[in-house]
Amino acid sequence: MTLYAALVIAVVLASGTFLLLQRDLFRVVIGIILVSNSATLFIVASGLSRGAAPIYPLPDSGVSDPLVQAMALTALIIGFAVAALLFAMVYQLYASHHTMDLEEIAEAEAREAEDLDLRGDPGTEEVPEEEQDPEERTVP
Amino acid sequence: MTEPGLLLALPVGIPWVLAAVLPLLDGRKRWVGLLAAAGLGASLLSLVWLASIVIRRGEVEVTAGGWPEGVGITLRADALGVTFALVSVAVILAAFLYEVALGVRWRAFPALILLVAAGLTGLFFTGDAFNFYVFFEISMISSFILAGYREKDYQVRAAFVFAVVNLLGSFVFLIGIAALYTISGSLDMETIAARVAGLNPSSVIAISALIFAAFFLKLGLFPFHFWLPAVYVGSHPPIAAILSGALANIGAYGLLRFGADVLPRELALAAPAVIVIGAASIAYGSLQAVSRRDTSEVMAYSAIGQAGYVLLALGVGGPVGYAAAVVYAVVNSLNKGVVFLSAGLRGPLVGAAFAVGAFSIAGVPPAAGYLGKFMVFEASTAVESVTATVALVFLVFVGSALSFLYSFQVYQRRFVAPGPSGKPSPTAARYLVVLLAALVVLVGLWPQPLMLLSRAAAAALTGSPG
Repeated sequence: MTLYAALVIAVVLASGTFLLLQRDLFRVVIGIILVSNSATLFIVASGLSRGAAPIYPLPDSGVSDPLVQAMALTALIIGFAVAALLFAMVYQLYASHHTMDLEEIAEAEAREAEDLDLRGDPGTEEVPEEEQDPEERTVP
Repeated sequence: MTEPGLLLALPVGIPWVLAAVLPLLDGRKRWVGLLAAAGLGASLLSLVWLASIVIRRGEVEVTAGGWPEGVGITLRADALGVTFALVSVAVILAAFLYEVALGVRWRAFPALILLVAAGLTGLFFTGDAFNFYVFFEISMISSFILAGYREKDYQVRAAFVFAVVNLLGSFVFLIGIAALYTISGSLDMETIAARVAGLNPSSVIAISALIFAAFFLKLGLFPFHFWLPAVYVGSHPPIAAILSGALANIGAYGLLRFGADVLPRELALAAPAVIVIGAASIAYGSLQAVSRRDTSEVMAYSAIGQAGYVLLALGVGGPVGYAAAVVYAVVNSLNKGVVFLSAGLRGPLVGAAFAVGAFSIAGVPPAAGYLGKFMVFEASTAVESVTATVALVFLVFVGSALSFLYSFQVYQRRFVAPGPSGKPSPTAARYLVVLLAALVVLVGLWPQPLMLLSRAAAAALTGSPG
């Protein structure tokens, strides 16, 4: 059982990590969701005892560890909240650039920064950001 | 609930309850901002009171919900937690007042700031490993949203990168916590420390590596630093101040709590690796900072280097090393708060405040920075092997020289060279950064309270079981 759980967690975590390394923002978010679920699976698998539900324990029957269930529930909720937040951010980027590709967004931003530089607008607050090296922003 | 127990709940509870109420109000109104600031101020005052009790009577502990100890979740305030909570809430309060003076742009901004404060204080006080993760996520998720404050495209993208990288770290940490539970059968940090001490270190070292890696990522140390410059440069100045002055404390505190308190044997085994990573961060951060032009970019790379000193002190270990790590982390938060806040302003007095922050980073007395540098020097001379001592002292010296160089460069470019002069920023914001800079000088001139707290923290860490 432990080996089986370890295999499942390994596959989920590996596919999540693979998706995280993609350029497409949607895949990155799915990757994070998979990684968060692998952590939840790990918590469930780390339960110390197995048996019946601990709602009315009888003296001669083993009960399952209730603590891991509580932790898994909390971790799931945090995972959902995080996924919703990330999708909102992706939507906002999509709404302003009409693309989900991280590199295309970075290029569009670099172009905008250059346009601002050419216009040489000293009064705005954006002075520090325009001086920024465009390579810095392409690092995901 | 006894009186100190209630006092322990106040710094976490006040911002938390206010954060739940404030989204109903419009945070852009000035009185709502001031109400939130009053809540943070009350939290800070209760922390000062708590700190005085902790110093006089030792750690304060309370178990939530009236459960017996070991079953319920414990809140435990020792000198280490109180010190970090004090400095974090102070930096958050300063950054928030700054934004109120400039004009808040988001309805939910005050509530998010309060959630960051509640999450951080909760994290510094909890005695339960899983509860630590929950508080950690409360403050991290609020800060992901705050990193996109003002909703410029590059800010949202920086916030996305920040969120994805740090979430990966959080889940790695969560797996580490679950693994600790499997081998020790408990989530209470003291019980974990006691039970893990009896196990074969080879089974614990892999779990320790997971947990330490997660905190290295939070601190933005050298091989884990790639997300940090983009986020710090892209953020609005008070947000950058909160990220590097308050949230980065999670990394330093987490390493001290999980490394020095819960897994001391594993930290000692990993000490060479920890020192190497710290040294690499100092070298990389300082060199990159010297080569950059823009103020916030220089300070972002400087943050990587400064985190390296904390790690160096941690790797040396023992009472001297831990006390040095605490002092350095606290002083560094204050410095970063002053520097990032004053970098966003214009007008008289701002240059002076920035100079205090920059020279404090460089370690020029009487600003507080020299205290941190001095203690790291003292810690590096405490290493047994002579070659290691010479190498560390040399490294700390070169790092300090470089930080002096880039602080001067930045000051010259930003405030001495004639540049485009705009209209001066609001007076309240300028007085605020001056006040924060005065605090940095005050800590440098009167270091006894900080030294007392850091010695007590180091004593609590080394005196714990295991």
